[in-house]
Amino acid sequence: MAAIEIESLTKWYGRTRGVEDVTFAIERGEIFGYLGPNGSGKTTTIRCLMGLLRPSGGGVRVLGERVVPGRGTQHARIGYLPGDFRIWGRARARRSLGFLAALGSDGSAARRRELAVRLELNLDRATGDLSKGNRQKVALISAFQHQPEVLVLDEPTAGLDPLMRQTALDLIRAAAGGGAAVLLSSHDLSEVSAVCSRAAILREGRLVEMAPISQIIQQGEHRLKIWFRNGALTREVPLPQLPGVRVVEKEPGMLHLAYQGAADAILKWVAQFPVDRVATPQTSLEEAFIQYYRQSSNAKGPTAKGGSA
Amino acid sequence: MNRGARPPFPFALLRFWLARILPVWCGIALLIFLMQIAVSAIVHDNEKVKTFLAFIDMLPSVVKTALGGDMLRIGNTAGLLAIGYNHPFVLFLFMLYAVGTPTGLLVGEVQRGTMELILSRSVTKIQVYLCAGILTLVGMFALVLVMFLGTIAAVNIFTFKDRVPLEVFFRIAINGGLLASTFGAFSLLCAGTFGRLYAAVSVAVAFLVVNYFVAIISNWWPRMAFLKPVTLFYLVDSSRSWEGWPLRNMGILVVILLAATAVGAVIWHRRDLPL
Repeated sequence: MAAIEIESLTKWYGRTRGVEDVTFAIERGEIFGYLGPNGSGKTTTIRCLMGLLRPSGGGVRVLGERVVPGRGTQHARIGYLPGDFRIWGRARARRSLGFLAALGSDGSAARRRELAVRLELNLDRATGDLSKGNRQKVALISAFQHQPEVLVLDEPTAGLDPLMRQTALDLIRAAAGGGAAVLLSSHDLSEVSAVCSRAAILREGRLVEMAPISQIIQQGEHRLKIWFRNGALTREVPLPQLPGVRVVEKEPGMLHLAYQGAADAILKWVAQFPVDRVATPQTSLEEAFIQYYRQSSNAKGPTAKGGSA
Repeated sequence: MNRGARPPFPFALLRFWLARILPVWCGIALLIFLMQIAVSAIVHDNEKVKTFLAFIDMLPSVVKTALGGDMLRIGNTAGLLAIGYNHPFVLFLFMLYAVGTPTGLLVGEVQRGTMELILSRSVTKIQVYLCAGILTLVGMFALVLVMFLGTIAAVNIFTFKDRVPLEVFFRIAINGGLLASTFGAFSLLCAGTFGRLYAAVSVAVAFLVVNYFVAIISNWWPRMAFLKPVTLFYLVDSSRSWEGWPLRNMGILVVILLAATAVGAVIWHRRDLPL
């Protein structure tokens, strides 16, 4: 049984689409990336999952139980970090976190202290006086302090410095290692590719891809970097004869190409020139992600809506 | 938690919110208490009463109506003491709490962005609404008891020629507490319905002000007397409390209170909050 099951989830805000027909499942111990640009419906999905919004169709199950909006379904076992984390400014971080932990779960003060030490956060300061990065640490502690079985994290490392970002990613990995299912929504694709095993890409409220990270990267463009001997490349690349090929970079004696499908045609064309060496740079998740949007930019639907995502 | 089980009642939320509103409640309670002492300080002395009534007579007659009308005369100690219950300042303090508490707690948390955090924990929307309702209604009745305690204290501090019928004041206080709680329930309904603080407060205050002024005008202007039963203030006509418990009026107030609270709960539960 998957820890999170989302089936045909649809949410309309009047005539505006939030998400439509979104289906995926996350197993225990899995870190699942949820990607999409602003307004694609990520936050809408998350809020439906948390029972904060009433879906227009479809349903969500968490830890085997159907999520009923407004009923706090399994919330004692879920750690939630909202994308726009706001907390009581006048209260000390310790008090706010203690209150959130006490709302129906076994919040452990020891665990809270341990997380604060790890994230280098002074819990005795009023949250209103904290910097954005330190407030994000409070958000992380609020999500992790009760050792949840499901983590729903919307931009968990926003505002953190690189060292703290690593600590946050370590926390996420450790939680998944302990059997927690993690839904990680993020704009930081390097972060997603660093910790997630699978990811879904959302565009205008619809899932356009769901696959292991490696597969998403492979499905994108492939790269080929060629250095020619003594600047032997004398002609322009005949792009009309090489469908699916584009020039990424061109310097005297070097050509960086991106291509889709087979490399056969390119290699045959390149073979006309004396080649010094060849490299095949790895495509990043970010490039693959941008490509998904480039490919489907012509197919415009109604704009999605919902919070920051 | 068992599968499908309702989360336990969030006493932590109740305590958290109580700590937030307690300073305001204490301030209001102190002012209401002192108001009873101040009124008693004037009305226990006939010379002061004469001066006071002469002053009131200089003001527009509607002011006298607002303070108690024909009940205000020398010798009617209880009627004069009731100024402490009817005074617009006291009513303002009650209504400040009645409107401010539910709107501040529910809509305030939504607007601050912290309601999302609260609802992400093991708590239902209805429980959150109930916490706001409990603090509003219990706080309201506690204020009424403070008002009554103010009268008891005043009676013990000052010497009155006539016996002060405290049991009548208790009935008036309870009846008034029900009225104030009914306004609190209406504010709760507004808080459950509107996403913006100014909208919730505006509608609740407008309802209250219209009720109050219709009550004053219908008492002051005989041609408008037909409007008396239209306002909720009609249900706390203190003259009826002299004869015994005004059970019918109290019953009507309880029904309105429960209906407003229930409708607010349904709306609050069913609508998507503007998080």
